[in-house]
Amino acid sequence: MRRLPSWLLCLCVIAVGLTACGGHGKLDKAVRSVLVSGDTTRAAYDSLCSIVTDNPGKYSDLVTGDGQVDHKRMYELIQEIGSKLRPPMHWDTRPYGGVQELSLTIYFERSGSMVPYDQRGGGGQLKKAVNDLINHFPATSKVEINIVNDGIYPYQHTVDEFLKDRDIYQSTAGIGDASYTDFQLIFNKILEAQKPGNVSVLVSDLIYSPRDTHGVSLDKIFNEENSLATRVFARYKGKSVVVQQMMGDYSGNYYPYNGQPFNYTGKRPFYLVIIADSDVIDQLAQDTRYRGVLDAPTVTNSYRFNQGASEVECRVLPEWENNAGRFRVRHGDGIVLTKCQGDRETGKLCFSMAVNLGGLLKDDALLTNADNYEVQSIDGYTLSIQPIDPSMVTANNKEYLDGMTHLMTLLGDFKSPRDEVHISLRNELPQWVRQSSCSSDTSTGGSFSTTTLGLEQLLGGMFDAMRGSNNLFDVTIKIQR
Amino acid sequence: MKHFIYLIIGIVLTALFFVFACSDGFNIYEQMYFSQGFNDKMFNLNVYPVIAALTILVSWGGAATYYYAINSVKFDRWYHWLAVLGAVAVLAPVICYIYNDTVFSTHGVMYVGESIQFEMQTVLFAAALFVIASFSMRWWSSNCRHTPIPQ
Repeated sequence: MRRLPSWLLCLCVIAVGLTACGGHGKLDKAVRSVLVSGDTTRAAYDSLCSIVTDNPGKYSDLVTGDGQVDHKRMYELIQEIGSKLRPPMHWDTRPYGGVQELSLTIYFERSGSMVPYDQRGGGGQLKKAVNDLINHFPATSKVEINIVNDGIYPYQHTVDEFLKDRDIYQSTAGIGDASYTDFQLIFNKILEAQKPGNVSVLVSDLIYSPRDTHGVSLDKIFNEENSLATRVFARYKGKSVVVQQMMGDYSGNYYPYNGQPFNYTGKRPFYLVIIADSDVIDQLAQDTRYRGVLDAPTVTNSYRFNQGASEVECRVLPEWENNAGRFRVRHGDGIVLTKCQGDRETGKLCFSMAVNLGGLLKDDALLTNADNYEVQSIDGYTLSIQPIDPSMVTANNKEYLDGMTHLMTLLGDFKSPRDEVHISLRNELPQWVRQSSCSSDTSTGGSFSTTTLGLEQLLGGMFDAMRGSNNLFDVTIKIQR
Repeated sequence: MKHFIYLIIGIVLTALFFVFACSDGFNIYEQMYFSQGFNDKMFNLNVYPVIAALTILVSWGGAATYYYAINSVKFDRWYHWLAVLGAVAVLAPVICYIYNDTVFSTHGVMYVGESIQFEMQTVLFAAALFVIASFSMRWWSSNCRHTPIPQ
């Protein structure tokens, strides 16, 4: 041992050095660990920020001039580390860092046909929906309430009084003219008045009831309604609208567009029209503080307008029950399956891919209907899609399923040495809008309890104004032998 | 001078092994054994650099022990050297497997079959690195410099 040459000690130093090269800094390791474990929460982000603030000298590039964490740089660092993982992982930390608190402005419709939604004997679903919405914005100073019908009138009491008010239509009686609702004026005012970081919500039955409709044909009213919706929303670029349909108890007079009012007791749909800048709607979807706004359990149907083709995160599952044949996922740009082989018996290649369609804010009926998708490939791959159930997640596939909402399975005859499978989700007005729309409301028969007069025309007008592209998203999978 | 060239070549080869063992693109481990889910986990959990380093340490450590700690005329025959090689080729995969299994267990991941198959290649890498280490450092051994092949 005495004769152990000094160079051997040098070797040990080199070996230790080599080992150290394989590791990352403490922050990189922590980011990697958070991404791999799927603990992408605000608390995890705060713990990463504390690593930076504990040692600002070491992470000077991640600290602003005033010693605060540079959240934009942190986001970039996290994306860079995430992109090197398998599968590449994306964590949008932007809502956590330095984003201002959102404000809420409620526009509560007080027309004649809205009053029966909040009767003392009813379930109070409408009021509860509004109260829940307000409760997601804890700072009451950030909440403003207006009453709307022929115009927009400020609610004269405090937010707490509104929350406690058991008979909101009684306490707001006499405000404006409740005999008609001017959507053009209301939407224009909402969009004009909206400030950055504001979420405006119109609580309405979305029945277009302008002045002087006596003798005017329903088609003419529908066309007018459709045009005004297109005209209003086309003027405001960068806005996004989420329409949520809910059901509430209705008890009282209903005023059809062209007939005598009649009494109705039963269920009726009502709507929350959430209007904000697109990035604010994105924040509502991602920021856990506000997630309940868009995920309210009482929502029957919802649809987000103003969606251009979006980036959708996809991860091919290496092992899954439906997999047939063999393939290897090449990580890097896009989704590439290499070394593919068809199944020995059937010659088919089948693989499943976890996708995150949450950002699209579309209802499950639309997302899980394979007919809404267009699939193009040489070998005629077919698509099936299902929501991801928590019971599907195991420790081995957690990295692939975490944060993903749906599982797409593609099946095709593996014949071509090179193929490209293009998948796109067509941007169309969802089926529920047509199903919830009617062209006559003069009697309580048929689908009266589930439909709204002219809903398709109103939402169709908004859809035309804000249609970004023909597809909500496009994904291409390259398949190589 | 010639002996130092052997040493430098040995270090370079070992460094190359380490680099290609950690690489995302051309990964020497994945060239020899690939099972997508298992290998992705190995990569994400940073197991490759550690098991590569462990393999290097066991191989070079084994060679250093033989040439400078044992370093005895009683053990200077080729089969003594081969016995140390055998010990290294067994010890390295066992240590790597234990580490691998510990990391996977911590994360609740189960890849027992894949892990065993994967560590089979560590037998080869450890043996190869032991040979490289032997020819890099044997020249300065007082009693075993002629083992396994005389100078």
